[in-house]
Amino acid sequence: MDQLRRDPVVGRWVITFMDKPYAPGDFDIKHFPDKKGPCPFCYGHEGMTPPEIQAHRQGLSRANRPGWSTRVVPNKFPALRIEGDLGRQGVGMFDMSNGVGAHEVIIETPDHKKTLADLLDHEVEKVIWAYRDRSIDLHGDKRFRYIMIFKNHGYTAGASLTHSHSQLIALPMIPKNVNEELAGSNKYYEYKERCIFCDMITQEKEENERIVCQNSRFLAFSPFASRFPFEVWILPKEHHSDFSLIQTEDVIELARILKDVLLRIKSVLGNPPYNFIIHTSPVEERERADYHWHIEIMPKLMHVAGFEWGSGFYINPTPPEVAAKYLREAKI
Amino acid sequence: MPELRKDPVIGRWVIIATERAKRPKDFKVEKEEAKKGPCPFCKGNEDQTPGEIFALRRSRTKPNQPGWDVRVVPSISPLLAAEGDLGRRGKGMYDLMNDVGAHEVVIETPEHIANIADLEEGQIAKVIDCYVERFLQLEKDKRFKYVLMFKNHGRAAGGGSLQHARSQLIATPVNPKRVKEELAGARKYFEYKERCVFCDIVKQELKQKERVIIDIDGLIAISPFASRFPFETWILPKKHSCNFYDIKPAQRRDLAGIIKRVMLKLKVALNDPPYNYVLHTAPFRRPKGGYWKTIDADYHWHIEIMPRLTHVAGFEWGTGFYLNPTSPEDAAKILRETKI
Repeated sequence: MDQLRRDPVVGRWVITFMDKPYAPGDFDIKHFPDKKGPCPFCYGHEGMTPPEIQAHRQGLSRANRPGWSTRVVPNKFPALRIEGDLGRQGVGMFDMSNGVGAHEVIIETPDHKKTLADLLDHEVEKVIWAYRDRSIDLHGDKRFRYIMIFKNHGYTAGASLTHSHSQLIALPMIPKNVNEELAGSNKYYEYKERCIFCDMITQEKEENERIVCQNSRFLAFSPFASRFPFEVWILPKEHHSDFSLIQTEDVIELARILKDVLLRIKSVLGNPPYNFIIHTSPVEERERADYHWHIEIMPKLMHVAGFEWGSGFYINPTPPEVAAKYLREAKI
Repeated sequence: MPELRKDPVIGRWVIIATERAKRPKDFKVEKEEAKKGPCPFCKGNEDQTPGEIFALRRSRTKPNQPGWDVRVVPSISPLLAAEGDLGRRGKGMYDLMNDVGAHEVVIETPEHIANIADLEEGQIAKVIDCYVERFLQLEKDKRFKYVLMFKNHGRAAGGGSLQHARSQLIATPVNPKRVKEELAGARKYFEYKERCVFCDIVKQELKQKERVIIDIDGLIAISPFASRFPFETWILPKKHSCNFYDIKPAQRRDLAGIIKRVMLKLKVALNDPPYNYVLHTAPFRRPKGGYWKTIDADYHWHIEIMPRLTHVAGFEWGTGFYLNPTSPEDAAKILRETKI
């Protein structure tokens, strides 16, 4: 019999197929051709982006010239604008404010053909350092309350350019989903006086059927109530609530496990589109006992339809136990 | 400068792009190939579906034979199975239960027509009659707390490749999270203002007029102030009512009329886009210590139509923040002026 599984943090239910689970080959993954014309994220095209905010560069190369390994630039078509005040106001019963915020692009490699999974460990480390450095910098801007780092890979996951990149958005309010996650973990903490994510790590290690891979500092597993087939979460084994306080050794191990998981997904599913999001504590109250930062990786293998939109229920045709087994056994 | 707008009911924020605002022609609607072979939803192919649950039929026609106008059948691949107990249980810190529920398909026409926009008003009224009938029947099953009525049109909206107009009903054993959020938001507003938030929306929209698409006697179609999606459209009854299936027969005809006009405008303005529509209505009120005491006054049924013109990406999934490249004022104006 199929199961309804409840996410312990935010309480959403997932219809999980147990009887006839989908295998990797059952998903229809469409690949879209690369956009024509010069790519603004390639070497020599630095002038096509707004001037860089920061870059890892070798030797004496100059800003906005080739010679970089990762490069952070403002989004050319930002969803939010960096200048100005919030100007919160009411319009009758409605509330609104100006669209103030930061929207940056982290170009992960100068190599147009490589995905994040194909980079070397030390190259992935530089990407993570860029995430951290930009978070720390934006924490200083009093207008911002939340910093969201995410990646869209592939056209159907929302990536408009194929050249490997991630994005950062600093927001003037705490987004709804983040509030829900914080509220759910806080409720658990008040009841148990333990972090819900720490408990999850303990149970996953004990049951040992949803673990994808691990190293000395991080655990990657398919969550019990996975919304999407082959969804994977990466959690630091030690309790930390704020991603931006990550230390050097953790950056090294995070780079390894992130690359490892992405390679497994790529190998099992054939380079599917995916999103990943770093879930971390808000700018105020960065260090807290009731929250645990982590990365959620969501392959986009299916269309989300009316039922999911209307109900907040999800339908997952591959039980996480089955997905984890495929990913564990992947040849990489 | 882009705007941040807050949905007054559930409190999610939407970024509305004001520069580089997108017009209908900026969205690429991919055309799909129709599935080949006989359609199980056409008249004459009744034996290709599971036996019908309910149908509006001409007199002296037999079940599972031609002669029907609207037909309700169990889904061939149900997401929830009808038999059995819930069996709620824990597994360590996790909770789970059996997938008890009902999953039905409402075949909206015996003809092979893909879009509800192309049905006659009278036919759409019959579809509404069927919805009401199924809600009344499913309410009797005490295991169910909610019925979600929705429609996926087009492949990108999850409608598959079968191009025959239909909607779906899923009865769930728990109140879905999205529904709970909306109910909680509406209740909070009511506690503060002692008014229904949706009635206030209707009043403000009628006064401001700039987001109104169609305004008829008992119903209104608007582009909501904090639209998540370009050309998102809501249809609301002007008179307060929390339960969709209390709708009077006379009003069903008006609802059919406004659905037809909205769908036709979307089809014409956006070149037959994929869309989802979802009916938002009150749950079955199973007794629970005073929990439902204000729902009659604080909640208001309505239909939300979401054209699927953009890909929802990592940012939206992670935050519940949406990016909408077409302001609802522009969308409403375009739809108002669309000739049908």
